[in-house]
Amino acid sequence: MSLRHSQSARSPPHTPQHQLRSNNNSFASNSSGSTYRVEEDAVIFELGSRWLRAGFEGESEPKCIVGFGPEESRRVGDYRGWLRGTAAEQETPVRLATPDEWSRPYELWKMNLRDVDLGLVEDKIERSVRETYNKYLLTDAGVARLVLVLPSVIPHPLLSSILTTLFSRWRFPSITLLNNAAMATTAAGLRSALVVDIGWVETVVTSVYEYREVATKRSTRAMKALIQETGRLITQLTNGESQSGDTISVEFDYCEEFASRFLWCKPSRSTGQDKLADISDKRVSIPSPSDPGSSYIDLPFSKLTEPVEKVLFAQDMADSDLDDEEKPLSLLVYNTLVSLPPDVRGICMSRIVFIGGGANIAGVRRRVINEVGYLVKQYGWSPVRGKVVDQNIKKLQDLKLSRPPPPNYETAKEQTDSESSASEGGYETADEPDTEIDPIEQKLQRARDKEAVPVVQGVLREVETLGAWAGASLITSLKVRGMVEIEREKYLQHGLAGATRDWDHGHKDAKDMNTHSQIPDRRSGLRAGGDRLSWTLAGWG
Amino acid sequence: MSRPFPYAYISCPCAETSVADPARKRRSRESPQKASPVKPRPQPQIDDEEDEQTFDPRAPRSNFSLYPPEQLLYCEDCHQIKCPRCITEEILCWYCPNCLFETPSSMVRSEGNRCARNCFNCPACTAPLSVTTLENRGGDQSGPWVLSCGYCMWTTLDIGIKFDKPTNIRAQLAKMTTEPSTPATRTRQMSRTFGDLKSPLSMYSSIDDQLPGSRPDNEDAPLDTSIPRTRDARFAALKAFYKDQIAATTTSGVDPGDFGSAFSSPNTLHRIMSIYTATRMTALYGSGNKKARSRPPMMREAVSANEGLAIPRPDSESTIIKRMASDDCGWDGLASIEQRSFQSPDARFVEDLLPLPSLLRTKRSKRCKSCKHILVKPEFKPSSTRYRIRLIALSYIPLATMRPLILPPTTSTSLPSLSTAAAPNLDALTPQRPIQLLLTLKNHMFDPVRITLATPSVTPGRVASKVTILCPQFDIGANSDVWDEALQSATAPDRSSRTSPYEKVAEAGKVWDKGRNWTTVVLEVVPGSLPGIKLGKAAIDSDDEAGDDSDENEVALDWSGKSQDHGQQLQPDEDVLEIPVFVRMEWNSDNQIESEEGIGSGKGLGGDSVKRELAYWKVLGVGRIES
Repeated sequence: MSLRHSQSARSPPHTPQHQLRSNNNSFASNSSGSTYRVEEDAVIFELGSRWLRAGFEGESEPKCIVGFGPEESRRVGDYRGWLRGTAAEQETPVRLATPDEWSRPYELWKMNLRDVDLGLVEDKIERSVRETYNKYLLTDAGVARLVLVLPSVIPHPLLSSILTTLFSRWRFPSITLLNNAAMATTAAGLRSALVVDIGWVETVVTSVYEYREVATKRSTRAMKALIQETGRLITQLTNGESQSGDTISVEFDYCEEFASRFLWCKPSRSTGQDKLADISDKRVSIPSPSDPGSSYIDLPFSKLTEPVEKVLFAQDMADSDLDDEEKPLSLLVYNTLVSLPPDVRGICMSRIVFIGGGANIAGVRRRVINEVGYLVKQYGWSPVRGKVVDQNIKKLQDLKLSRPPPPNYETAKEQTDSESSASEGGYETADEPDTEIDPIEQKLQRARDKEAVPVVQGVLREVETLGAWAGASLITSLKVRGMVEIEREKYLQHGLAGATRDWDHGHKDAKDMNTHSQIPDRRSGLRAGGDRLSWTLAGWG
Repeated sequence: MSRPFPYAYISCPCAETSVADPARKRRSRESPQKASPVKPRPQPQIDDEEDEQTFDPRAPRSNFSLYPPEQLLYCEDCHQIKCPRCITEEILCWYCPNCLFETPSSMVRSEGNRCARNCFNCPACTAPLSVTTLENRGGDQSGPWVLSCGYCMWTTLDIGIKFDKPTNIRAQLAKMTTEPSTPATRTRQMSRTFGDLKSPLSMYSSIDDQLPGSRPDNEDAPLDTSIPRTRDARFAALKAFYKDQIAATTTSGVDPGDFGSAFSSPNTLHRIMSIYTATRMTALYGSGNKKARSRPPMMREAVSANEGLAIPRPDSESTIIKRMASDDCGWDGLASIEQRSFQSPDARFVEDLLPLPSLLRTKRSKRCKSCKHILVKPEFKPSSTRYRIRLIALSYIPLATMRPLILPPTTSTSLPSLSTAAAPNLDALTPQRPIQLLLTLKNHMFDPVRITLATPSVTPGRVASKVTILCPQFDIGANSDVWDEALQSATAPDRSSRTSPYEKVAEAGKVWDKGRNWTTVVLEVVPGSLPGIKLGKAAIDSDDEAGDDSDENEVALDWSGKSQDHGQQLQPDEDVLEIPVFVRMEWNSDNQIESEEGIGSGKGLGGDSVKRELAYWKVLGVGRIES
């Protein structure tokens, strides 16, 4: 908007044309906006590989959270799920299973679709959505438009399955896709953030800058591995060390329950010890996994932190032993920050947002923040490590006797409000002279001091979010139209293949014609020039 | 399966006509048959061949297409079975299952789909809560009221809530939990300090707000009532903030959508270049007001708690950990996943749980998805259980019932091993021992039906049971007047089978028994052996199954070699003997008033009757094979 204005302020000869066009376009989008304002409140689904959250726009929490476990996949009329805890259930023997097999029935999809039966996924989605509408949403399915919050990486066959199921089963007029990282950012009240999604299969660290994903890193250290590790721990507890092989003999539900209730994490490697020293020797009793109804087993409270330390933070493993896809969370966050441009990094590091199931484990957030702080203190923002590097730095330091020690995390902190100097730390930039006085900069600084709330930048800070679902609910209730809005008829014609992919072409067109046309474009999910025939998958394309 | 054996399930035919993915054809053309060599897909993806395949009741997908017959509907226009997947539903009314009060449709959403009166469910055990008084002085019910659970003895006192009036509990509760500054909550907090100190509602921004003594910096968190504390309040604050920002940054003022799009526009190169100027930076992240006159400011982010920003306290998590470890918390002090599922996402301890207003239920009418005809229409009133329209499938398709055929002790000619007359225990069928079942199909239509049954000779899956239907094709009489049968039976001599079933022997090609509108045929089943346990069993039973041993042993050896592999273990319910049966029924029905549109696929026989057919897969659950 300021752009639009500044353009017109510069008043090139095209200005009237620009205004005309943009007015036209905004008029068009307004009309489309007003048509859907009379519609019913949109329904928002957040779909992950384990849970479906559903609710209405403008509400702060989803109406329900539905899982995709084996209990939900039973036949109609099979009521064995209700026998839980009764004698009939005790009879069924617990089977040994490898960790992957053990957790497999509980996830809706795997990223490796090769051995995923997409038909089964469709069946599960259909049933969950139908029951969600009938039990919790209590409106007629398919009347209001649907907003789907999805992870930013989702295989196309899967996306196609989801959309096809929804469109062909019900009469949704349109489905809007929203990105969960950006939604979590919005729900934190931010524009830029580092979203740490400790999800089921993967922990995804996404840097969102101005509502756009600019960097993503992933690690398999996430809840699935954690629950499996919990399963191993409990299996060991019950069977002793005699358990042969990598098998789990306790029930998944029990382990998940155990993990969600009792797993915790030391807030930091060193300092947390003394703070929580009094509780580390405490013992807690948990129901015995073999006979949850009656008997209990005692565990030291400090034992309950072991799976978390081992899985999420790769305790007792050297960095060199870790593969790229299994970096511990703190390193993952750090690496993502390092890969960002300094400006973005400065903004993002003070806006770390945690979402996903793992974020509920007490202590994990603080631990990540603390460890990242430690890494920054130790290495600065340089990805270069090693003895030789250290020696070289030392040599350089020795050469320049007058220079202060290389700036590190502390100086980054000091530079909170001088973001233009572009040195967040790091050895290379540190050598630039910092003392040069820029009169314009000073003037701007003065002007800014008068008016501005200082921008929090360059310090590690966590911001709480209401979650991706709430973000989508917020966005939708503000009548912001999604970038990816798939209309029913168009999808049913060609499926995903109908989506426009040539974004560059669109850009060029837009630039030639009109710089602003992208703005209403985006909103309506249409391409330049009001070409209503095409739609796009944007980031999912 | 949880149903008692034997049972019958029907697979809705809609499962075969799978959803046509508009892009799937294209995709399969691009990459034909990418099935991995290691694990073939449970069901091949080629849609055209699905009709030819034997239905596998154990395939994971069949759980979603199998329905008990009584849950299926029938569309009279499409002449097809309709399962919950191939109908659309419309809500007729909303009501509370507890108090049966109907909620008008305009109120449903504003009440959050839950009962707005006094109906609550226990947060701990989901039983309904009742309003009781604390002091019962001589019959006059007065004084503070609480909600209490009659099942688990949970009361709202556990979370420090008392009500002044016994009515309108929901409004009272909402007042207490959402507005922290109201006197009610203050008294509640007060009362908590006297009682259970460790029971805050986690609606507060962080736990340590509640714990007295654990406030390290009080001046940092002044008792500012405008700071949103609950989730809802924070959401509202964020929404208000964004609304303000959109209004402030939109030039036209009528264009509400600019907020998301302005910064997702691709001509950002320009903007990103200009972002390096400091004013732009301020405009983004601070509140740049100075230049606001000349140009509208960029949208900024929330910077204060009033705007919805929440910075967690550094020690909030260690507070939680300490509380988890404390002696009075323990396993039972932490809320389970199930308890948390409808609570605020921050609820972690049992003390954080709030009573849940009862979820409303709906009465829905159901329509056929393809022809939009109404299949089910209940009465509008919540208390009425009557239906105006109800086309259930059982009045159109034959009802299948099964019972084991108890062989008489004398008939030892065909089956020498079975010498007992006792009914076989269906929950523990002996592998490789043949049993005979009587399959009765009962017709509910007023036309005689011709039935053709087909079944694979060996059931799909690893436990291969042999199935033979002794008489696969037969007729069932019409569901005529009951008096007809009575009169017929009076004239005709009664069938001998009724009185003395023991004298009969199951014969191939012959119907076992027949009545007015039902026919019974015999099904012979040889339960297969379970993998893994085969070796020991075979040794014991070898005298019984001399004929089968040769080929079965090969299989057994094959399994024993891989017994370490967990995939070879007995899967859950793999020992359930389920027989897929393809049922095809043909009948001549009277032509309806409407001229048939060819759906019935019949050449008219005579002037007013039309030949119809219906085919579907049925799954007969015979029993569980003993391991």
